[in-house]
Amino acid sequence: MKSQHKKWGALLLAITLLSALLISGCSTKGKGGGDVELKLGFYSSAQSDEKMQELIAKFQEKHPNIKIKTESSPYNQFFQKLDTQIAAESAPDVWLSDGVLVPKYAERGVLKDLTEWIQRDLKAGDYYGLEFNKDAAGKYWGVPQGIQIAVLYYNKDMFDEAQIEYPTDAWSWDDLKTAAEKLTKDTNGKYAVDPAFDKNKISQYGLTFFSITEGWMTVLKSYGGGVLNETLEQSIIDSPENKAALDWIVDGMQRELLPTPSDLKSFQSNMAPFPSKAAAMRIGIYARTIDANAAGLNYDVTLLPKGPEGKRFSPVIANSWVINKKAEGAVGEAAWEWVKFWATEDEVQKEWASLGEAVPVKKSVANSEQFLSGSPANKQAFLDSFEFAGTLDVNAVWSEWVGKFNDSINRAFEGEISVEQAMKQADQEVQKVLDEFYKK
Amino acid sequence: MKLNRFRKSVGYAVIIFSSLIMILPFLTTLFNSLKTYAQYTAFPPKWIPRPIQWSNYLEVWKLGAFEQYTINSVIVTVLSVCGALISCSMVAFAFARLRFPFKNTLFMIVLGTMMIPPVVLIIPQFVIFKSLYMLDTLTPLWIIEWLAQPFGIFLMRQAFLMIPKDYEESAKLDGCNPFQIYWKIFLPMCKPTFATLAVFTFMTKWNEILSPAIFLTSKENFTLPIGILSMAGQWSGNEQYMVAAALMSLIPILLVFLFAEKYFVQGTNSSGIK
Repeated sequence: MKSQHKKWGALLLAITLLSALLISGCSTKGKGGGDVELKLGFYSSAQSDEKMQELIAKFQEKHPNIKIKTESSPYNQFFQKLDTQIAAESAPDVWLSDGVLVPKYAERGVLKDLTEWIQRDLKAGDYYGLEFNKDAAGKYWGVPQGIQIAVLYYNKDMFDEAQIEYPTDAWSWDDLKTAAEKLTKDTNGKYAVDPAFDKNKISQYGLTFFSITEGWMTVLKSYGGGVLNETLEQSIIDSPENKAALDWIVDGMQRELLPTPSDLKSFQSNMAPFPSKAAAMRIGIYARTIDANAAGLNYDVTLLPKGPEGKRFSPVIANSWVINKKAEGAVGEAAWEWVKFWATEDEVQKEWASLGEAVPVKKSVANSEQFLSGSPANKQAFLDSFEFAGTLDVNAVWSEWVGKFNDSINRAFEGEISVEQAMKQADQEVQKVLDEFYKK
Repeated sequence: MKLNRFRKSVGYAVIIFSSLIMILPFLTTLFNSLKTYAQYTAFPPKWIPRPIQWSNYLEVWKLGAFEQYTINSVIVTVLSVCGALISCSMVAFAFARLRFPFKNTLFMIVLGTMMIPPVVLIIPQFVIFKSLYMLDTLTPLWIIEWLAQPFGIFLMRQAFLMIPKDYEESAKLDGCNPFQIYWKIFLPMCKPTFATLAVFTFMTKWNEILSPAIFLTSKENFTLPIGILSMAGQWSGNEQYMVAAALMSLIPILLVFLFAEKYFVQGTNSSGIK
């Protein structure tokens, strides 16, 4: 019996030694002399992945000494994984960040400060939106890869059917509401201006409205309000301007000219009402043209309406290339080469624009015939909107405070509490989130 | 007689009704996979796709490396199932039949680990697999199952505890050592539990998202769920394709279930001693 135990023990020992040997053997990786390996991370869909691979191949032709190793994942999983990688100190050297997440990584000390490089190599006047990645201290943390900017989408067929004029760039939010009354329809075909209109059986909304970018932020800011102050560390929610803006929204929702958050639940997605022809208008970023075109809508776009004082606001999300702080020396330089290749080469910008996902960052390409042609006809509206564009008060705890703000404000949208109550509650909750991060 | 017939028809009505409820989500998925984008998002929702868009399935093949994803998923799940069956049953046998110090405390600790959410474990696992140079390979996905997971241990232990001591004792008299008892007596008697564990492991691994998303980086190593998810972009959904892809990825699970089903209905083997 004893000898048997010994045998087993010896076997176990042998296996352990063998696996240790194997593992240590794997670790001696050879590296070619003078070559730099660049870990490039990006989120992608099946369609965009192919284009990305093409562009990487082009980059490698120009920079034969830089070897790119790609790390791609679906959108949500990419950021989940990135957080794990950052914790394990193995994040990519350069990666594509959702615009709203750049400050999250910057303020946690994960990103390289790109200010010097940007000032040295990029002419600010050539680009839309370099400043969208600038923090309150004037430092740049990323270079936009493609820009999302919002305009007003409208379904021409629905306007024609209701026999009203198409929206113009002279519209105020009240003009929009007047039109929405004539465009909101119940299942009996009665419009909201008709006394027989039944608001419990909506078949078509005047304007679809969802969350921050394509919802309240645009209205709040054009009314002169907003959520955070200039330092992005203080809530300014409880203001008369915001009250006026929220009253406008809540009134629209109570009359069902706009869907409430719970109304949206009956759709396949929160984005579906406009492409599925259940809403005549939407506040929409550039990427929404994909769905509208896929659904074969007869639609166009124009500038977003003005607030009561004539102020306009168009929200922007600038998805950007950012560089890992740990990428130093040759790797850091190689990472910057990639970012520069993306931003400065017309050809790259054109290739990427052909996917139709975002407005090109480079002005020369955005203003070219290639970008401006096609559907919708008035693509110029996207470019004109840069004049009054701004970010979504993006800071290090953006996702967290947006969640808190929505929780409170949605209760007012559903008519559960008053606008004043919702504002007070949102103000406290948002400030708490900000203090937890900024006051340490 | 009449009452009997009445009872029967009520029974059937209940069965038909409940199976309709069960089948409805599946039908919705099937219909959704055959719609165009416009029909998919239509409001109010349309049930029946018209025209039927068979090309969605073709598109799925074109969009991603679907064959590669399937092969990867098969490798991971098959190796996982083997690992779970071997490792869990061995550990469970020890907990059920062998005598060693702190047995019950150890078992409690093993059960306790079931309460730890996977998200908490993923970072340490990532660090371990990174230092073993196993990232971006399929290895971390299946090797974990060879290290006996708590649910499997629990399941197999319960099955082993049901086997009467007499089998073990007679085997001992005939000169079996503990390994032979485990291998020749216990394993054949717990086939239904094995089938359960196999199906369970198969389904978990086949549908797993978190670990592959964290451990894999190159496209050619993606498993099916990640491949399906990567059909959507940040802005565009392609939902109708994703539904079609998800349905296609269901087929192997159905096959495994049909194959293992006969073991589920098999009774226990306690009839051996009378």
